[in-house]
Amino acid sequence: MRPPNAHPEIATLNPRRGGAVLVTVLVGCVLILSAQARARSGRGTVLQAWILTVSAPLTHGVSSISRVVWDTVDSAADLLTARSENERLRRDLDTRERELFRLRAEMRQISEERRLALGGSAMPGVVGSVPVLLLEHRSGVHSILIGAGASEGVLPGSPLAVPGGLVGRVVAVGRSVSRAQLLLDASAAAGARIARTGELGVIRGDGRGALVLNNIATTSSVARGDSIESAGIDGIYPRGVPIGRVESVARGSKLFLEVRVAPSADFARLTDVLLLTPSPAAKESPEVSRSAVR
Amino acid sequence: MKVRRIALLLAAAAVLEFFVGGSPHRRLLPVDWFLLATATVARSGNFVRAVLTGAAGGFLEDALSQPLLGVNAFAKAVIGYALTIVSVRVVFGGALAVGAALAAASLANEAIVAVLGALLLQSPVVVFSRDALWRAAATGVAGGALEAAWNFPWSEWWKRHRLRRLR
Repeated sequence: MRPPNAHPEIATLNPRRGGAVLVTVLVGCVLILSAQARARSGRGTVLQAWILTVSAPLTHGVSSISRVVWDTVDSAADLLTARSENERLRRDLDTRERELFRLRAEMRQISEERRLALGGSAMPGVVGSVPVLLLEHRSGVHSILIGAGASEGVLPGSPLAVPGGLVGRVVAVGRSVSRAQLLLDASAAAGARIARTGELGVIRGDGRGALVLNNIATTSSVARGDSIESAGIDGIYPRGVPIGRVESVARGSKLFLEVRVAPSADFARLTDVLLLTPSPAAKESPEVSRSAVR
Repeated sequence: MKVRRIALLLAAAAVLEFFVGGSPHRRLLPVDWFLLATATVARSGNFVRAVLTGAAGGFLEDALSQPLLGVNAFAKAVIGYALTIVSVRVVFGGALAVGAALAAASLANEAIVAVLGALLLQSPVVVFSRDALWRAAATGVAGGALEAAWNFPWSEWWKRHRLRRLR
């Protein structure tokens, strides 16, 4: 930001022309947005899938570099704490350590995949593990980009999970990259069940990193610490996958309790997720998968 | 600012978005790189390019992370125009002022996206959450640091450094 005198060329720039361009851009945005909001099918989804496909090489490339760099940074940080003790020795072994860093990063990746695979044996219909390329949380929208797409058999509506619990579902599929909506998203919802009492409700993201269990009657005996799992009644998520634990129970304004749930999956540290088979209802009805975005 | 340089800025913003977003430390660095790219173009005082850069960056961001294409494009086009007005009409400078302006712009971006989401998707309005404030702070700090680095007399500093070493 500079004073007007700092840029002599500014005098030649016309704010009115800029205003006209702004209005044109805004009208264009509104038209694109209203077309998507009205139909929620066809062009919007196809356009997103196309953009995801086009950006896939960049996404994969930068993401893999990012992983290697951050793993190396982590390894270096771990190393610095011990450096004072054996500085001379480390100088001698410098070349070998560089190799060790790389191997450590690879081993961490392999052990993470193994941990996922072991945890996945308890999950229904695991297709495989996929890497998380980007996690975005903004204005109540919580989404991730995953490094698998139509070529790996990802379908719209495919649920995602980690051994800890349910994560979300795929909403837009490119050829090798897909976008998924997390359960924490303000528009996300899933059928849920209180494991102890068997009562059914609807779990929703509050857009701020927590979950709220709705439609639980005030007569319910739900208590703090109760385990919540997916109910399998929504035609999207399989039954019996952990979602979280009851954090607090308060009397709501009407006939239902206000139950806040702490998610069991660690959403802040998602590096790989398990891809589950979409339910037959989601496969048959594309509307079911589209409704996730609403 | 030339079109090629703007394209490079947007590409750099996309690369940084993935570089940080794909790391396990992404929550520590939630900088809005596309907003920084828009602000850099707005700083040159060209309204048309600032608006178009904002729209292009926002559109790219929407395609990668938003359920609706166009919400961030809308917000960043408006912010590009507003930042150009601030850059041209308001006499102020320095890393702190630029950082504060960018933090405010980031919050405005969040608010516009939240309101559009509420209008079009009937989703609950989530504005000024902890994440949004953290993102605004990170964007402001990054913008302020870039401004300070841009205005720092690097050549004089280097000369002084060399002289000191020679003595």
